[in-house]
Amino acid sequence: MFRVPLTRGLPSVKVVHSSLRATATQAPQKIDVYIDDKKVMVEPGTTVLQAAALAGVEIPRFCYHERLSVAGNCRMCLVEVEKSPKPVAACAMPVMKGWRIKTNSDMTRKAREGVMEFLLVNHPLDCPICDQGGECDLQDQSMAFGSDRSRFTDIDFTGKRAVEDKDIGPLIKTIMTRCIHCTRCIRFASEVAGIDDLGTTGRGSDMQVGTYVEKMFLSELSGNIIDLCPVGALTSKPYAFTARPWETRKTESIDVHDAIGSNIVLSTRSGEVLRVLPRVNDEVNEEWLSDKARFSYDGLKRQRLITPMIKEPKTGELIPVEWEDALVIAGMKIKEAGRSVAGIAGGLVDAEALIALKDLLNSLGSEAVCTEHTYPMEGCGTDLRSNYLLNNRIAGVEEADLALLVGTNPRFEAPLFNSRIRKAFIHNELNVAVIGPPVNLTYDYEHLGDSPNVLHELLYGSHPFTSTLMAAKHPMIVVGASQLERTDGASLLAQLQQLATTLMLRGNIDHNWKVLNILHSIASQVAALDLGYKAGVSEIRNAPPKVLFMLGADEGAITKEDLPDHTFIIYQGHHGDAGAAMADVILPGAAYTEKQATYVNTEGRSQQTLAALTPPGMAREDWKIIRALSEIIGNKLRYDNLNQIRVRLEEVSPNLTRYGYAEEANFTAQASELAKNVKGNTSSDPFDVKLKRLEDFFMTDSISRASSIMAKCVQAAKKHRENKYFGSQNE
Amino acid sequence: MDKFIGLDKLARFFAIIKQNGGITGSLFKLFRQDDLKVGTLVGEDKYGNKYYENKMYFYGRSRWVEYADHYFLDYDGSQVPAEWFGWLHYKTDYLPHQDPGRPKYNWMSDHKENMSGTSRQYVPYSTTPPKIHSWVPPKAK
Amino acid sequence: MASRRIATPLSRQVKPLLSLDRSEARKRVLDLYKAWWRQVPYIVMEFDIPKSIEQCRQKLREEFKKNQHITDIRVIDMLVIKGQMELKETVHIWKQKGHIMNYWKETHEPKPTDFLSSFFSGKN
Repeated sequence: MFRVPLTRGLPSVKVVHSSLRATATQAPQKIDVYIDDKKVMVEPGTTVLQAAALAGVEIPRFCYHERLSVAGNCRMCLVEVEKSPKPVAACAMPVMKGWRIKTNSDMTRKAREGVMEFLLVNHPLDCPICDQGGECDLQDQSMAFGSDRSRFTDIDFTGKRAVEDKDIGPLIKTIMTRCIHCTRCIRFASEVAGIDDLGTTGRGSDMQVGTYVEKMFLSELSGNIIDLCPVGALTSKPYAFTARPWETRKTESIDVHDAIGSNIVLSTRSGEVLRVLPRVNDEVNEEWLSDKARFSYDGLKRQRLITPMIKEPKTGELIPVEWEDALVIAGMKIKEAGRSVAGIAGGLVDAEALIALKDLLNSLGSEAVCTEHTYPMEGCGTDLRSNYLLNNRIAGVEEADLALLVGTNPRFEAPLFNSRIRKAFIHNELNVAVIGPPVNLTYDYEHLGDSPNVLHELLYGSHPFTSTLMAAKHPMIVVGASQLERTDGASLLAQLQQLATTLMLRGNIDHNWKVLNILHSIASQVAALDLGYKAGVSEIRNAPPKVLFMLGADEGAITKEDLPDHTFIIYQGHHGDAGAAMADVILPGAAYTEKQATYVNTEGRSQQTLAALTPPGMAREDWKIIRALSEIIGNKLRYDNLNQIRVRLEEVSPNLTRYGYAEEANFTAQASELAKNVKGNTSSDPFDVKLKRLEDFFMTDSISRASSIMAKCVQAAKKHRENKYFGSQNE
Repeated sequence: MDKFIGLDKLARFFAIIKQNGGITGSLFKLFRQDDLKVGTLVGEDKYGNKYYENKMYFYGRSRWVEYADHYFLDYDGSQVPAEWFGWLHYKTDYLPHQDPGRPKYNWMSDHKENMSGTSRQYVPYSTTPPKIHSWVPPKAK
Repeated sequence: MASRRIATPLSRQVKPLLSLDRSEARKRVLDLYKAWWRQVPYIVMEFDIPKSIEQCRQKLREEFKKNQHITDIRVIDMLVIKGQMELKETVHIWKQKGHIMNYWKETHEPKPTDFLSSFFSGKN
């Protein structure tokens, strides 16, 4: 975990592969060090700071961060080492055998006090108006390790250092005077985000962190530098001056804006989400969060459906009504329709609502319960879970040595998966190849073209890349789920499965290593397929039902034009969007912050959100609405509370209630065997991805479309792209 | 002598009847304001309210207002404009049109009576923006 | 010690609260009931409640019948003591109109128990 060569991260630099992992093959001999006279055995190469952490001693630090390279420039981690004349920087110094490290000696304390004093000389006394107040490392550490009195008299002469603030976009507020030059943001930008925009200029007290030219720091992961900043130099613009951390209530939850299922903490106060922060989960999002997940929370306060509505038959206008009226009308229409009822589930729906809708429609004798997004149902379709999961898991990328991305832009479809690939690319010698449009993924890759024919060539060995693919020990094929929505999706999937099986049967890869991975971009899709939803709305389009129940379906898979006039549309959801606009009855549901609900991410890991707020107005939790409707129709569903519906979930698919655990999906060989039955040819239309540029990333679902912060981001990204000096860089 | 045998009371009775417009007029006023008084008309405001004074009545009852006829029974203390209020309540002895220190500016707004209990009453409203903005359905074409 | 334990009688003597036997307890209850009965016209008048004397006596009967099933003499005694306290509070007008009206529980809304009514009321 020492400073890693970052040369790979720099764009278009060819590197001779150094054998970084060679040391790992030797049996590590542990060495003994003494932290405050306590003996710890550590592996050679461990830094003093890590050794101290093993002994349970936390050494104060500003610039050091576990997931970034070591900079060693803040000097806060100075500790005394016996027989060393000077204190050493714990974060950058590897321990030697038999070292006796004193983390609380006079010398150490004096060193810390001195460093604190130097930092505070040029730090403004802003704490009362600083947004970092209460969660500021500098504040905490000056209380713990700083001097108890000030020797600072220079204020009367030259004054404190002042630095002009920078405009680096609509999300991050900069107060550069507060900067202590830890360079965490710079290292994050160049190592994790892959946007080498931040850097330092000047030396000594003239040193400044910035972009050098006037430029915005626009990345899909930019919000993380707010969390990284140990002081209040980088704070959140939308959250500015709204709350103190000790006033807010924190609720642990799950993000639903992409299919990664990032773990988040919702800070709420007085019925509002004030901010969203990431929660550490090494298997999913490490400690990062994408900007859409972090900043689209203001969309939860706009365009909300807060009362049930029905369409006035004469004027055709939606008027607010009571729950009884809306449910009675909806129930009446469903009863009249008999079996001719269909349901469509949208992208933000939880598993509880999905099972309730499916149970309701099945009890009425209808099998037409679909998801909005298509997925090939030929072959074994979605019967075998391995067919639609990211089988190698997100963290599995770090073990892979070759990733073949087919028709996906993970940078915007799943930013945290992309940051994993980038991490593996930099640290683990992962090679990446792409079939699809040439997008900027923030790391170098081999572009194999954008035609599906490349797959065919790879399968039959006529492509020059085949030898590399076959030589790989841990190859990963990552397919964007959006490609399988094509009309030839089934045969594409069949081809990919064959390719994966060929790779697996080659014999030189691990038995447990699965090759084929599907990368979804919709939070509800995996849960819906687990529960037996039919993917795609073609069935509804071919045989239009008398009553259509749209559960948060806002992406316009079915429009008013696809349906005859007499079709009665019931929309249930939390935002007024495309779906609500065409509905005859609107039932207001709860957003993901307002319900305790189950979501399954693209690797098949089920996780649950917790209710941070109550649903606004007359809105109710989604599964309860369907449960109430079922009672009004007379086909009462047999669950009355959350536990009972979860028992039902477990009946249908036991993995859904094993929270935090990604169930293994097997039968890949059988799946590929069944896929051989798939008829139809692959068309040679090139692969295309929807999200190509940063501005496409921000608004993808009904919550982020309602968010004004996201709208500002789109504006900023467009403006940035149109800039003639550096606009084309990020594409 | 008149005073001694109470004839002055009788004289005042007839004076009051006379000033208030004869027997029918007096009965009407008695019905409308439950009081009959005699006094000098000292002024009239722009809304038609008439102000009287008679020092014969003791302090506190010696100045009064007769509301304009169009109010009929719907008269109310707040119909007295601010400039007459002071005189009526003995804050000042100057009549509004005789008061040298009274400011008169163009920007001074017109007197408004208290509208509480009517459809035009003042209703306080929240000035804080709502926390949740609800969706407004689009108008049907 | 063991021999002593065997020798102890199985029935336990309890300390009486007021009454020594059922008939005494019954007499206390009836006395309290009669006292309330006589007070009812004054309650109607003094508290100016929108109930007639008959309605109040009906309610009085209901309140006593509510504890009809109790057989433990000490519990009966305790209820009599409490009833006596309430009576005193009523007679001295330490209670207010609302306290008297609270016997009818006209404003009490029972919590919804079934799924649908709790769904409509928004309570979980």
